[in-house]
Amino acid sequence: MPRRVVVTGIGAVSAAGWGVGPLLEALRSGRPLAGSITRFDASRHRTRIAAEVPPAPAAVAAAIPGWRRLSRSDRYAVAAAREALVRAGRFPRGSGPEMGVFFGTSTAGMPECERFHERLQAGAFAPVALLRSQEANGPGDAVARDVGAAGPVESVSSACSSGALALRAALEAIRDGEAAVALAGGSDALCELTHAGFNALRSVDAAPCRPFEEQRAGLTIGEGAAVLVLESEDEAERRGAPVLAEVLGAGASCDAHHMTAPHPQGAGAARAIRAALFDALRDPGDVTWINAHATATPQNELSEWKAIEDVFGARAAAIPVVATKSLTGHLLGAAGAIEALATVDSLVTGMLHPAPEGGLIDPRAPAALVRGGALRLGDVGGRSWVALSTSLAFGGSNAAVLFGAAARAAGV
Amino acid sequence: MTDETTLRSRIKRLIVESLHLDGVDPAGIADEAPLFGEGGLGLDSVDALELVVALEKDFGLRIASNEVGRDTFASVGSLARFVGGKLPLAQSASRRG
Amino acid sequence: MKVAVTGIGAVGAFGTGRASLEAVLALGAPAKTAAGRPAPDSRRGWSASPPLLAAAQDLSEWVPQPQARRMSAPSRMAVAAARQALHDAGLPRTGPDSEVPAGVVMSTSWGSAHYTERILDQIRREGPEFVSPFYFTECVANAAAAQVALSLGARGPNITVAQREAGVVLALARGAREIAAGRASVVLAGAADEMTPTLHMILARFGALSLSSDGVARPFDRGRDGLLAAEGATVVVLEPLEAARRRGARVLARVETWGCGFDPTAGPVSWGRETRLLGTRAARSLSSADGPLDAIVSGASGSPSGDRAEASFLQGLKAALGLPVLPPVLAPKGATGEYGGFHVGAAVAAAAGAPVAPPAGFSAPDAELGVEPHRGSLPRCPRRVLVSSCASGGAAAWAVLSGETA
Repeated sequence: MPRRVVVTGIGAVSAAGWGVGPLLEALRSGRPLAGSITRFDASRHRTRIAAEVPPAPAAVAAAIPGWRRLSRSDRYAVAAAREALVRAGRFPRGSGPEMGVFFGTSTAGMPECERFHERLQAGAFAPVALLRSQEANGPGDAVARDVGAAGPVESVSSACSSGALALRAALEAIRDGEAAVALAGGSDALCELTHAGFNALRSVDAAPCRPFEEQRAGLTIGEGAAVLVLESEDEAERRGAPVLAEVLGAGASCDAHHMTAPHPQGAGAARAIRAALFDALRDPGDVTWINAHATATPQNELSEWKAIEDVFGARAAAIPVVATKSLTGHLLGAAGAIEALATVDSLVTGMLHPAPEGGLIDPRAPAALVRGGALRLGDVGGRSWVALSTSLAFGGSNAAVLFGAAARAAGV
Repeated sequence: MTDETTLRSRIKRLIVESLHLDGVDPAGIADEAPLFGEGGLGLDSVDALELVVALEKDFGLRIASNEVGRDTFASVGSLARFVGGKLPLAQSASRRG
Repeated sequence: MKVAVTGIGAVGAFGTGRASLEAVLALGAPAKTAAGRPAPDSRRGWSASPPLLAAAQDLSEWVPQPQARRMSAPSRMAVAAARQALHDAGLPRTGPDSEVPAGVVMSTSWGSAHYTERILDQIRREGPEFVSPFYFTECVANAAAAQVALSLGARGPNITVAQREAGVVLALARGAREIAAGRASVVLAGAADEMTPTLHMILARFGALSLSSDGVARPFDRGRDGLLAAEGATVVVLEPLEAARRRGARVLARVETWGCGFDPTAGPVSWGRETRLLGTRAARSLSSADGPLDAIVSGASGSPSGDRAEASFLQGLKAALGLPVLPPVLAPKGATGEYGGFHVGAAVAAAAGAPVAPPAGFSAPDAELGVEPHRGSLPRCPRRVLVSSCASGGAAAWAVLSGETA
């Protein structure tokens, strides 16, 4: 039996603010976070809203050494990582060779790169310091340097599945004993290139996204970071750490169908879900709810629903579905991480976060979407709650992670 | 050459250039041949979107997402009719603006 | 499950395929003969030593035009290298046929830098509403891995790792894990990178590039002054050892063990003071290797501080293993340049017995390092090699390859 792996701390930066507190308040009350874009001039973009992170509180900036030299996505990552470690009771001590960092991102230092190129094109002086943390290893490395991690540090950049793949890698590292504790998460910063690019694909809704609705018209981009502290159950018990949830298993696959469109039958997603169930030694019947990828593009939900039907059969329409992106927007490389955090919260509180009330659900993807008000989880007859979180990326890379309620519930 | 023929030739050239169809002669694309899927030029959804950007740039148009459909983009002929229909509006808009 | 490497594919300035990679490794320097001359390219304006270019090569044998139409250079080179690797492994170029899906693990530093620059240019010059969907789909970091999977029908795990110079070793390790855990029947693992004049200028401004006019990098040399930038792709085929034997494949090497670590004293674009400790950590991994090391394939590139970190890593390894001297150290980036993932290809080739000459640019050892490239031929063949890479930013990764075939 592989080592059991638990979550002992969570940290976040989102459009709700800097910290898990404001994020959970928004998620639990079903308050969508998108607003007008202020980060760049969006007047010539097709759409003008996003879920932007507000400016950092002075105290956060002051507490983090080298703040000025960090890129935006590095800052989100480091702040979220510190919060997670504090909540896990592992900060400022408790890092070193036994700690690993597994991080996902898609934009990394692109906002700073955009500034560099703008200056270059204008014939002005363009400092290369802007490109210090440009590549996808940027946020993960920034976290590792900040917390003093000397164990395995790996960054993943597989578009929307990055956060989930980072969790999968962290889970394996703890199980295999390569690290005693792992920071697993993701960070992404809003940038003009990505916003313009998704608009070029006509994938962005001009209004806040409406997952699973028949009239859905595309995604809403979000930014921020989410970090989970993972350790073995034994390690957590040894130090008397709070156990929020268990990471039961993870799976990955690829559609290998098209560079942007998902497989119409959801075959790749179904394979990733099955791989996660197999890894967790669980059956579809064990799953209490699904935190769906649910980007609100017309194609995603159709494809994802087919996968859900394929795996869950007749139960599919009855399983509650949570669409976190309706509130946080799509955090791209950090999506899998923030959705994992949302899932952990629900495992602690027993309440599923609602999407806002909206129009008719798409009859071709009739998910039991939790919306309007939070849904209290019912008793599952002596077994504990199990949640599935799916991340289905651009380019066809899919990942699924299963979480379970902690044996002993801890408060958040 | 009529305006319509010029329009179709221009669209054919745009298709070959913007979609990197190296080795395809624009003049060889039949007016009503299917552009998408098997049996035609084999273009797909991303090609359609690329073509939309190229048309917007070249003709100074704005094409709404709901105008990007199978019918409009079925062939060079249908595209030419669509673009032709939008052109007088675009021109009069720029005169007013 | 034991992990075998059964094929190598590569696209670089040296040409395409394992044989041309091995030819340049045996030379110890970028090829100057007609066969290996850097491919002609219309992009001009290189600062410092011109990079080793590969993107303009004719890859139509491996990636026919209809498929290549929408691929960026890294994607095209990655798909070509993947198909070459499968061909080298005796597997179908269209993708392995198995009930258990094939996986893809690629590494990249900047993805398609060219298309990224084009989009940034489009936004400024034409406006964000005219950004090309093509360019966008190809400038995400996972485009190459996605295109490889698409071209081969590889439906297993598809992962793009990023860890700068150490990325390709991490990709090898991640790929080996997927095989060892039975999650893929075959994994294509490697790297793809593209070099542009702007990127080259940026590297020059970071002081990373060698300024020498003879276009040669000098790993571990006292007079080293920077790396030689390259572009290209490397892919290796990983499969379960048993499956490889059952189908009568020629096994190049087994991936015995792997590991990674981090030096948190590093800066975002520099190496730290504690790389030695990572060598100690690597030594612990070696306890699960099946025997002593015959050679080390170092990631040393000619970078003054990068090579110092690589040497420090090796000193830590030597001390922790209690060795009187280091095994012979090979520094293939003297021949292949940095970026493109070639040093994993070099490591597999070296493990299988291919000759790897010392860097031609090496003339005088740096006493501070205590490491110099091995001169002369290597004693054993095939060999057990440790491939290692210490990235700027702090990460390091290593793997032990045990050669099977001469």
